[in-house]
Amino acid sequence: MQSPKETLTKLRKVDAEELNQLKKRTDAATLVIIFFIAVILARLWFLQIHYGSKYKDKADNNRVRMLDVVASRGNVLDRKGRTIITNRPNFNIVWVKEDSPNPDEIIKKLSRILNEEIAVLLKRVREAAENPRHIPILLQEDIDWKTLVYIENNHYDLPGVRIEVLPRRDYLYEDFGSHMIGYLGQINLKELEEKNSANYQGGDQIGKRGLEKLYEDELRGEKGTMYMEVDAHGFEQRQLKGKETLPGNDLQLTIDMDLQLEAEKAMAGKAGAVVAMDVKSGRLLVFASAPPLHLEDFVGGISTKNWQALLGNIKRPLVHKTIQGQYPPGSTYKIVTALAGLSKGVITPNTVFYCSGSMKFGNRRYGCWKEGGHGPVSLHRALAESCDVYFYQVGLKIGVDSLAEYANRMGLGHKTGIDFEYEKSGLIPTSAWKKLAKGVSWQDGETLSIAIGQGFNLVTPLQVCQMTVALANGGILYKPFLVEKIIDPEGQIIREFEPIVDVELIGMDKYLELIRDGLVGAVNDRHGTGKEAQLKDVTVAGKTGTAQVVSMKKFQETDEEDVAYKHKDHAWFTSFAPAENPEIAVTVLVEHGGHGGSAAAPIAKKVLARYFAQKTELETNKAKENQNVLQ
Amino acid sequence: MLVAVLLIAAMGLVNLYSATYAGGASTTTVFIRQLFFFLAGLSFIMIIHLFDYRLLLTWNYILYGIAVCLLLASLLLGSNIAGTQRWINLGFFRLQPSEPAKLMLVISLASYYYRKDTGRGFTIGQLLIPMALTGLFFILVLMQPDLGTALMFAGIFISMTLFVKLKWSTIGIIFGGCSAVIPIGWQFFLKPYQKQRIMTFLSPESDPTNSGYHIMQSKIAVGSGLKFGKGYLKGTQGHLHFLPERHTDFAFSVWAEEWGFAGSLFFLAVYFFMILWGLNVCLASRDKFGVLLAFGIVSLIFWQAIINLLMVMGFLPVVGIPLPLFSYGGSSLMTTLIGIGLLMNIRMRRNQVRKN
Repeated sequence: MQSPKETLTKLRKVDAEELNQLKKRTDAATLVIIFFIAVILARLWFLQIHYGSKYKDKADNNRVRMLDVVASRGNVLDRKGRTIITNRPNFNIVWVKEDSPNPDEIIKKLSRILNEEIAVLLKRVREAAENPRHIPILLQEDIDWKTLVYIENNHYDLPGVRIEVLPRRDYLYEDFGSHMIGYLGQINLKELEEKNSANYQGGDQIGKRGLEKLYEDELRGEKGTMYMEVDAHGFEQRQLKGKETLPGNDLQLTIDMDLQLEAEKAMAGKAGAVVAMDVKSGRLLVFASAPPLHLEDFVGGISTKNWQALLGNIKRPLVHKTIQGQYPPGSTYKIVTALAGLSKGVITPNTVFYCSGSMKFGNRRYGCWKEGGHGPVSLHRALAESCDVYFYQVGLKIGVDSLAEYANRMGLGHKTGIDFEYEKSGLIPTSAWKKLAKGVSWQDGETLSIAIGQGFNLVTPLQVCQMTVALANGGILYKPFLVEKIIDPEGQIIREFEPIVDVELIGMDKYLELIRDGLVGAVNDRHGTGKEAQLKDVTVAGKTGTAQVVSMKKFQETDEEDVAYKHKDHAWFTSFAPAENPEIAVTVLVEHGGHGGSAAAPIAKKVLARYFAQKTELETNKAKENQNVLQ
Repeated sequence: MLVAVLLIAAMGLVNLYSATYAGGASTTTVFIRQLFFFLAGLSFIMIIHLFDYRLLLTWNYILYGIAVCLLLASLLLGSNIAGTQRWINLGFFRLQPSEPAKLMLVISLASYYYRKDTGRGFTIGQLLIPMALTGLFFILVLMQPDLGTALMFAGIFISMTLFVKLKWSTIGIIFGGCSAVIPIGWQFFLKPYQKQRIMTFLSPESDPTNSGYHIMQSKIAVGSGLKFGKGYLKGTQGHLHFLPERHTDFAFSVWAEEWGFAGSLFFLAVYFFMILWGLNVCLASRDKFGVLLAFGIVSLIFWQAIINLLMVMGFLPVVGIPLPLFSYGGSSLMTTLIGIGLLMNIRMRRNQVRKN
């Protein structure tokens, strides 16, 4: 072993030849170094100077994320400005996959926190697979406070997971006017193409039915944008300037909340419709279809199970019965028959027919609902006690086609033209129609059925109400409407709706007066069929109707209870009040409710009672105020 | 020389402050630690000047042994960070033994080549021992696993071996061997994540969220610096955490983002001045050991710098190689400063040989 000293002194020197060689090698090394310097400089040039602006954009996009902010949807108010529907914040869990370094683990954690199966969460992730990666995926909606707080506190453990606050429809009166108001749903491709693309994007909520759909453009408002500076984990650092949202406009309806609630309460458990209209304008005060839809079920998409239940329900909750329910008008049609008879001069108020309880025509006997018969009846009693035989006689004398003419003039058999979707027109048969549709000539016997509102006749509750309005106001058919005004977020009225006269019947007032008189009798006479609708302080006029369904169709239900239900007659009651100076018309239909007088009239009475109670209250308040002023 | 080193290290510190700047408490600790290591390293340079570098010739096997022990220790009791066992916790700081091991390898190879050099070129048989010396380090580091540093060892070995004279037959055998070994190595020895790193390097844009992420983000950071940068402490990529490992391996991205092309150019000028000066030391030394040692140290710094820079600019896959003097990391900084101390030592004693 050499000592250090020796090593040092014995160290071999570099001789001249070696030095030469060394030079060559260091030169080669220098070349290598210069080569790499050149590569690096060139690369640097390309990155920073040549493509620099491209990377600059990328860097800006990297840190600034553009987020759409959904505007708060407009409120829905009743005619007095009381809020029916508004919005509340809805906390959703969304996940930006891009921001999660370990997606599987995040899903596992979330499954535990949200108490949701991994498969369910993964399904939602898969459904969003086609979206760009930076678009948040909705994992769970409307989380509760506890979960919210937990996620907020642990957000460093959950990179990419965010809480998104979205306005959600808040139904203050639950299923209030559900068919009228309609519901929201996720926008589909077709709607996305139709709508203004700047204000809509996939995943947005859009009005699918009812007013939510019809007034979508008013209610929606304008989306805002928010620029958010984020770090690589998706955590928001600070908010940059963006575009403010513009809340949607409010809809003030013509609907009276109290009356609608009263009607809906009275219809609980039943199927059918209640329509109330302002006699002097066509404003709809009540527009109810029973059974209601449970609107909360539709938020965020209705489940298949719930949908199947709705489809299978014998009370047909999916049908908007005020405008889509078509029923034989029953005895309410006698208004038309009477009007036609009077106008054609076939009868006068004093014309008397004898009712023995039935009437023989051809080789068939047509019965009156009262088996014992009414004896000799004039127009007033015929309407008040709804004598069938009287109207058989009138019908025969006028003929089916003249009857149809007057029905049409009273608004039956065609759409009322209300600004609403899927209205049905009903059916008022004529001889020509039968020839065309059935290929058979009209039988006079059928005219008898038509005259009392049975047979082929089909009407909607809204049509009957519109007819009642015209009867009450002396012949003006108003186009029914639902929206009073549209109010912008600052409270300015931007649009107001005026009554529209659809048809005005000229020269019929004296006949209508006679019919009104008969209808007052129906409610107030000793033997009137609509006595159940009587009010103490106000004279109500009304007409009952009982529409037979049995002979019309064969039923396929095997369930006996269902068959029994489906065999029951539809109950009608249409009315107006006060008789002397009508203000409101109320029409009630109870599907398979039985007799109009017993099943439908009490419901109309409740709505009317409420209306007049409200009015008296208002007047006493006014009187009090005046007194206060005087004092 | 010392000026260049000081300048680079100062830039590194300034940059480190920015890279970790977030207003948090950890910011200052990282900065102060690096400053401490830098000052400690400078004093090491002074100490190294006190003895003759040629003493290393006698100590080289001891040093090599220590390095092996440290590497083994890091494998056995090392703290596990991010799935790798690269560190030995010494209480006040965590030593990364693979850093000094790089220097030990340089010393060992220089000693061996110096002893065996006959001037007629090395045969393949004579290369077996240096291969074994390198191979042991290589395997130990690969087991951590740290492919980048392992390849660094191979790089040092190749540069130093090419620097000494080889027989043509030897060169032929090595090339033949390598082309046979590489596919086999790919198949059997690389861990999946290492394979993936190499694969994503080939097309980083294909997977912008996972493996390609680092490269993408780094390129964005560098590119968005433009001519004059975004200004000190104003880089968005770094401060918003888009850049991973921004104070260690990707420190230069932060620099390039904040100082732009001009700043990067200045940095590179100083850096390569230092490297060329190192090469000059190699030429100036009058004994073969000094020449080999100096060349080894220069190549050590040079290859790390090149690999790091090319990686930052998206030319190479992400391997954990720091930019010597610039990146954060006590072990790396100390090793580099010791290396530079040795270079200065060699330069200082370049004329002593003749006198003897």
